[in-house]
Amino acid sequence: MNEVRGRIRQRRESGRFDAGVQAALDRPLPGGAPLFTDDLADPLQALPDVMDADLAYDPRSRKRYLGPAITLARRTVIWLLRFWIGDIVERQDRVNRLLYAAIRQQALAPSPLGEARLAAIEEALARRERDENASNLEWRFLAARFSGVAEQIRAQAEPFVALFPKGGRVLDLGSGRGFVLALLRERGVDAYGIDIDGAAVAESRGQGLEVLEADAEAHLRTLADRSLDGIYSAHVAEHVLPGKLVEILRQARRVLKPGAPLVMATPNAATLTVSAHTFYFDPSHRRPIPPELFQFLLEVEGFTGVEVRSYAPSDTRLREDVPEGPVRENVRLLNKTLFGDRDYAVVGRAP
Amino acid sequence: MATVHHFHPTIVPADAISNHVVALHELARRDGHDSRVYAIESTRALDGGVLPYRRLFRATKPEDTLLLHYSMGNEVFDQLAKLPARKVLLYHNVTPPEFFAGINPHAALHAQLGRRQLATLADQMELGVGVSEYNRRELEAAGFKRTAVVPLLIDWRAYDVAPDPAVLAQWAAARTKLLFVGRISPHKRQDDLIRLIAYHRACIDPDAQLILVGSYRDQPQYHGRLRALAAELGVTAAVTFAGSVSLAALVAYYRSATAFVSLSEHEGFGVPLLEAMRFDLPVVAYDAGAVAETLGEAGLRLKTRNLAESAELIGIVSERPALRASLIAAGRRRVADFSTATVEERSRAVLGL
Repeated sequence: MNEVRGRIRQRRESGRFDAGVQAALDRPLPGGAPLFTDDLADPLQALPDVMDADLAYDPRSRKRYLGPAITLARRTVIWLLRFWIGDIVERQDRVNRLLYAAIRQQALAPSPLGEARLAAIEEALARRERDENASNLEWRFLAARFSGVAEQIRAQAEPFVALFPKGGRVLDLGSGRGFVLALLRERGVDAYGIDIDGAAVAESRGQGLEVLEADAEAHLRTLADRSLDGIYSAHVAEHVLPGKLVEILRQARRVLKPGAPLVMATPNAATLTVSAHTFYFDPSHRRPIPPELFQFLLEVEGFTGVEVRSYAPSDTRLREDVPEGPVRENVRLLNKTLFGDRDYAVVGRAP
Repeated sequence: MATVHHFHPTIVPADAISNHVVALHELARRDGHDSRVYAIESTRALDGGVLPYRRLFRATKPEDTLLLHYSMGNEVFDQLAKLPARKVLLYHNVTPPEFFAGINPHAALHAQLGRRQLATLADQMELGVGVSEYNRRELEAAGFKRTAVVPLLIDWRAYDVAPDPAVLAQWAAARTKLLFVGRISPHKRQDDLIRLIAYHRACIDPDAQLILVGSYRDQPQYHGRLRALAAELGVTAAVTFAGSVSLAALVAYYRSATAFVSLSEHEGFGVPLLEAMRFDLPVVAYDAGAVAETLGEAGLRLKTRNLAESAELIGIVSERPALRASLIAAGRRRVADFSTATVEERSRAVLGL
């Protein structure tokens, strides 16, 4: 069925499946009322028309000799019954209209029980959302204590910024305070950003940057196929659940032009002091993502030339200035495992 | 000696139910039973003749079997239900009245009466037989205590006729020919087939043709409106109403077509689906009523009503020889499940012939 939908999309793009063809598909059957089965699909819409439909009856008979007599007889019967039929019709009409109004009222009326249950579910959901993301936390103070400084963030992003073509349209997913976005702009890249944090968006806009307040997955869905020259996304992946990450990658693949780069940076789970300690400085982090897994996620979604590049070495290290031998080997191994690079990025290209 | 009496209000040529009655009649005769066919109205030549139904009141004995084929309401059923005999109702389904509302009030009224009468017959029948599980469930809902499924008995040998050369020649040149066989009726949704061919011609093959085989005598209003729709969509030249055709012509249509397409919203069994598979046609059908049961693993079933998607699916089937071949092979296997011998065996066992 995916192939079928793909073909329909192609027809639309090529202009063959245009408004005219769509109109042909939607065209009602001419020469009378719409099919009742079609009306049943949207009954409330159809009801008023059906209730107001005129019922014409022609009492004339065209029989050769008896015709006038039959016509007269029919007319007489109709005339005799006119008050009774009129009453019945009038009552039926009232019943119809009352029923229609009742059904509409029912459909629009608030249902106290349903509303209460819905409210309870919404409240539970909001509480869960708050608990999971610690939305009740004083985030300004947390940011003041733990966030990186502009210069450092810019320096770390530098090698990746070089991957994006000058003049290309590039999206910074989760642009935060806009440091990398500004850098991209300086390098002549036509970059814009999105972020779910309204305050960060306002701050970036204040610096003259093009930023939207939006959810990553939802925003990507609004973009056309093959419309971007690159996507940069630092420290987003560890904030979302695994299924959402997969969906973001899938959408990214769809919206990127062939060969366009995707860069996604995240804390390096392979460094134990990161994955067991500093990762949790941010209470909204979900779970560390091992580089091997992230590489696989890109590859399985079809990205090519996928590589992992780690950066930001740890400040603390065990001293390695001991004589050559097993002890030095062990220290090196410990340094790598405990005090390795603190972040990494996966880089891949859209097929 | 016990006799088997078959009754259906009408026994006519080129009709699935009449064919079924005749096939069961011939089976009973071959098995050495005294078998007779009765109708209110008949235009069909038959070995032994089709007898007027009034004879049943004299001829039926308590030890006889009376097979009542039911596809429409009729007061005669009420009378026959009182006869002393082993009474079995074979349910071919009655099209729900809502399909005719607004188009053919006469047919809608008949359908309504037919469904109501079915419920009143439930207590008087020893057994209710559906030609599909879908029909059997409706019998159960109507109040039948004992029910069973016996598929339509189709005499496949009858199809071994030479295809009508005139029809073959007429259609040899066209590339894409979509075929639907079934009487022209609102529940068969030929209007959607016409919309579909408009899409097909605009987007897939500009020369695609739609062939609608089936009588339009019963639904003149709907037929007229279908013609108007084709004219409005500018596809009059691409839609052929073949009407009721001879068996040789029918075979030729099956042999000529690219694919069999059904968008019918109500099918009690769907003989043309099997016929199409018998003649090696890939089948694409909207999943309604008994369609899924009849197709089994063969054919492509449309789960949603989306004409553009349906047309593209047909396009894919006609473009890919491998897919086409696998559909044809699956179709052949499915037809074998309804082989004359298999269904004869089942008919004997359940109907007690």
